[in-house]
Amino acid sequence: MSADPLQVLASAGKGESTRGLLRVIILLLIAAAAIASRLFSVIRFESIIHEFDPWFNFRATKYLVANGFYNFWDWFDDRTWHPLGRVTGGTLYPGLMVTSGIIYHALRALTIPVDIRNICVLLAPACSGLTAVATYLLTNEMTPSPSAGLLAALFMGIAPGYISRSVAGSYDNEAIAIFLLVFTFYLWIKALKQGSMLWGALCALFYGYMVASWGGYAFITCLLPLHAFVLICMGRYSTRLYVSYTTWYALGTLASMQIPFVGFLPVKTSEHMPALGIFGFLQLLAFLDYVRAAMPSRQFQTFLWMFAGGTFGLSLLGLVLATSAGVIAPWGGRFYSLWDTSYAKIHIPIIASVSEHQPTAWPAFFFDLNMLIWLFPVGVYLCFQELADEHVFIVVYAVFGSYFAGVMVRLMLTLTPVVCVAAAIAVSTLLDTYLRAKLPKPEEIQAAEASEGKKGAKSGLKSTSKPVVGVYAIWGKSMMVSALAVYLLIFVLHCTWVTSNAYSSPSVVLASRLPDGSQHIIDDYREAYQWLRQNTREDAKIMSWWDYGYQIGGMADRPTLVDNNTWNNTHIATVGKAMSSSEEVSYPIMRQHEVDYVLVVFGGLLGYSGDDINKFLWMVRIAEGIWPEEISERSFFTPRGEYRVDGEATEAMKNSLMYKMSYYNYNNLFPPGKAMDRMRNSLLPEVGPTLSTLDEAFTSENWIIRIYKVKDLDNLGRDHTSAAAFDRGHKKAKKASKKRGPRRLRVD
Amino acid sequence: MKTSAVFSALVSLLSLASAASSDSNSKSKSSSTSTFTPPQVFKNANLVHVVSVEKNYVKENINVLVENIDKAAQDEYFLPFTADQMSRLGGVEVKDRKDSSAGLFVAEVVEFDQESDIQYLRIRLPKALAPGAQQTLGISYYLLKAYKPLPASIKQEELQYLTYSFSAYLPSAYTTTKQKTEVKFPSGTIPDYTKLPGSGDIQEFPLKQGSKLTYGPFGEKPAGAIEPVTVRFEFNKPVTHVSLLERDIEVSHWGGNVAFEERYTLHHRGANLSSLFNRVKWQQATYYQPTTFALKEMKFPLRVGSEDPYYTDVIGNVSTSRFRSNKREALLEIKPRYPVFGGWKYPFTIGWNSDAKNFLRKTVSGGFVLNVPFLEGPKQPEGVEYEQVQVRVVLPEGAENVKYHTSIPTQSITEGGVEIHRTFLDTIGRTALVIKARNLVDDFRDRELVITYDYPLMAALRKPLIVFGSAVAVFVAAWAVGNLELKFDARKK
Repeated sequence: MSADPLQVLASAGKGESTRGLLRVIILLLIAAAAIASRLFSVIRFESIIHEFDPWFNFRATKYLVANGFYNFWDWFDDRTWHPLGRVTGGTLYPGLMVTSGIIYHALRALTIPVDIRNICVLLAPACSGLTAVATYLLTNEMTPSPSAGLLAALFMGIAPGYISRSVAGSYDNEAIAIFLLVFTFYLWIKALKQGSMLWGALCALFYGYMVASWGGYAFITCLLPLHAFVLICMGRYSTRLYVSYTTWYALGTLASMQIPFVGFLPVKTSEHMPALGIFGFLQLLAFLDYVRAAMPSRQFQTFLWMFAGGTFGLSLLGLVLATSAGVIAPWGGRFYSLWDTSYAKIHIPIIASVSEHQPTAWPAFFFDLNMLIWLFPVGVYLCFQELADEHVFIVVYAVFGSYFAGVMVRLMLTLTPVVCVAAAIAVSTLLDTYLRAKLPKPEEIQAAEASEGKKGAKSGLKSTSKPVVGVYAIWGKSMMVSALAVYLLIFVLHCTWVTSNAYSSPSVVLASRLPDGSQHIIDDYREAYQWLRQNTREDAKIMSWWDYGYQIGGMADRPTLVDNNTWNNTHIATVGKAMSSSEEVSYPIMRQHEVDYVLVVFGGLLGYSGDDINKFLWMVRIAEGIWPEEISERSFFTPRGEYRVDGEATEAMKNSLMYKMSYYNYNNLFPPGKAMDRMRNSLLPEVGPTLSTLDEAFTSENWIIRIYKVKDLDNLGRDHTSAAAFDRGHKKAKKASKKRGPRRLRVD
Repeated sequence: MKTSAVFSALVSLLSLASAASSDSNSKSKSSSTSTFTPPQVFKNANLVHVVSVEKNYVKENINVLVENIDKAAQDEYFLPFTADQMSRLGGVEVKDRKDSSAGLFVAEVVEFDQESDIQYLRIRLPKALAPGAQQTLGISYYLLKAYKPLPASIKQEELQYLTYSFSAYLPSAYTTTKQKTEVKFPSGTIPDYTKLPGSGDIQEFPLKQGSKLTYGPFGEKPAGAIEPVTVRFEFNKPVTHVSLLERDIEVSHWGGNVAFEERYTLHHRGANLSSLFNRVKWQQATYYQPTTFALKEMKFPLRVGSEDPYYTDVIGNVSTSRFRSNKREALLEIKPRYPVFGGWKYPFTIGWNSDAKNFLRKTVSGGFVLNVPFLEGPKQPEGVEYEQVQVRVVLPEGAENVKYHTSIPTQSITEGGVEIHRTFLDTIGRTALVIKARNLVDDFRDRELVITYDYPLMAALRKPLIVFGSAVAVFVAAWAVGNLELKFDARKK
């Protein structure tokens, strides 16, 4: 071999195996980039679990690792939802925890003992690397161009819409679910294309994994039947479809029923009915197919109509009967809110109170997807051009996903994969068209023109013909390509910027800047949680609004009344009632629930917007939903309809436990009459609220967390109001002494 | 065992006889529950007992001139403690006051009788004391968990007072001819102390000079005589108590690094808060009342050359720490997440790295010598006490022939042994030397721990060879699996 090294270099990338190697290397680099771009928060802060739900998942994972799988499966958690408890093992999706547990034990077996926290923190970035690979595979099924797959992998790797749920530390179900979603779709396309039972079974397997991991599996459960249905409607029923669908449905449903939380839902609830319906429909079609082959066509026509009508009528009747009899549950509340965005606001305030269940604002699409959002329709259009079975899938997914992303912010996540795939098809088509260096030879053009002429003559429709259009001008090519390159670069910049600024805050730790530019960390949450953990009784019950339930369970390790698993609306309303009522009403509620400490979040000193006074109206609304005659939202607004906390606040507001706990002692920080709520920019009344049934137990450095201890019953049997008044040095009201009448000598 | 039992029985008979003959006029109580009393072979000719309550533990110094009054030479001197004191006793060191070259004497706890409340510390004199001869012993020891706050709960801004109870006469196993007890306080504010009738030209004990109280001199007292006194003094500093310190030292020859990690379970044993924590008062107090009995900050002077320190607790990194490192010092200043008041608890972890050449040396014979401080706790003006200390030195995998020596008083060391610690990519596990000690105080920080061990070359090469070997095995296995024909229809060409 005496080849010139330059020649070798030039010939590299030509051979099939070199290309394969290059593709693998590029894919690996993309996966690495996907992981690296999610590490902002670890580098900026520390390896910490973020936000709210991940704290529960983390706690559950620790339980799993410490107690083994079977104990985890049967876990009854008496440290949440006091005094009800929660059958945690049966009411969670175990996929995430089990995945971390398996990784943990596998690494142990390889004698690499990694802390379970680090595994949990880094699971989401690691899965995003896999998602990029899965997207590559899925896109490769759509188009012969290999560049589309790589582009899709790249887009998926850094699209903020996905990063928002998968930064390091965001240890939530979505972390692995999106990988499973994309990979299940890939396997489905593979199964459908080949009509293979093997791929169908694999698809079912990953579908089962998905069910074990995320409630969003219903998206697959609805999308695959829809795809099948559209294909049937297009007259594309085939044995391939029959084999792949029935394999997936039968095995997948069985797999999904193994999860205790899902159980018999797949055959009982309306969300799962489309999948069952299409399954039955496919059997009918297969039967008809068979009958048609065995019958003369005229008889078949009558048979078909009778049969179809009869089956439809029967099944509809059966469905209505089953639903009214309660065998099949009607649609759940969250599902209704998918059809009618104002449904939740009216009927289920608890769902509406979560910000991620709000409808998506238009700028969010651009924020989360940047240029992909305008490339997306192009990609879908290109799919229409080919419209094989797999392209129908993309089209159906695009329509379905766009609708849901528009309805609920968090469902942007399910839209992102199809946007990436479609946009990658669009970009790769553009690049393939404009980057072709070879000029077509004149005879080819002539041949093409000739064939065009022939075709044109045949069909007579210009649009159906496929003229060979090429761009030959160098400047045109370079303009287009460089514009695209600029767009791609801007996309990368945008993604990095969004990830760094919007999605990388742990929200447990707040960062601020000191005047000299150095980072100052506001760590009030952990200060207070650590205080609770170390200096209260092991079984001290903490009452707080449900947002903080998981964090208290995870960081402070104390029992809570309500938490982010909002399964019991009445219990949450009880806490809402205790918070929004006056002390006389709240105290018996707290005593009945054995509350030892009450925790509130107060942002007035720091100007922190996520505090309880800002969430207070939701507590009022939820409480009002259960006790409309005791709590009324209107009474928290001034006559002019303002929500105020200053001197003009309504009586209900001023007397509410939440208001008192937030502002208790706060005015002592300021010179008289200057107490200022920096969050709401209002001057507080000169005399602060008084508390008689609670004692201030702890306030964090920046006053974000305030913890109150519930007083025990008074030693002398007085009610707390008079006892507190006595302690403050007030004389007893004269009325009381008058009632007693003149003093009399006791005679025994 | 047998001989000692016989011995103790004999001795108890003797003691009964001596108790019967002792002066019944004395108002002092001698412990009657004890079935063992050391043989009355010594006499304390002169004794000075110095009780120091300056820090949040008690340091006691006994300087005693002992005289052999027996007919035979004696080499065992006994010092009695109650069972409760014994459990809190640590850091006992005995030396000859006159002859510093004699080194430290062996002092060990001897429990002759399980049922007795009085237990003895046996001091072995290196040279038996001839009849009639005298020797000056300097005995020093520490008592932990010694104080009770009075009042037991105070307000956040009030001053903290502690009480300490002890005996004005040193409870000795022998007759003491002459003795006095000095008590040293952190400040001159001593609102209450027990007053005793004086003797000689002194009207009333104790004498107060500045921050010092002196009881005595007293005349001859029989063995076991006690005179309980209680002092109450101002101590507006945290009473820091570490119930468990786990200190891990990991030596890496490949990395040339020694990693330290210390896990503290820290308590504040001072006065509790009578009304719960008030942030407003706390924030105001930081301006005009800087001293408080709450623990606000700790300073860890680390060895020069320490780097990458971390400070975490069970929920993660604690951001309130500062590390100053230069050629002269490496000072780690940490603040707990919240001020620690009496009765509160704050467990935390700190750790740092250091270059191995600061601690590790190769000997001529091919072995290694590791010289690390046994204890490197915080250096606080009010002192820190450690109830349990567990030092674990993780040596490289395959290290053998481990021997250690430490200058920590042997009485405080409860256990020392070698175990196996498995961690990153280990096959047989690393050799870990675990030393458990109890009742130490921060006076012993920087006492050294010297470990010698052998580390053969093959042991050093084990890890890279095994990692390489398993990687090769994986590739071979992958290749073998890839060559298998799994399909039913083998492709025909």
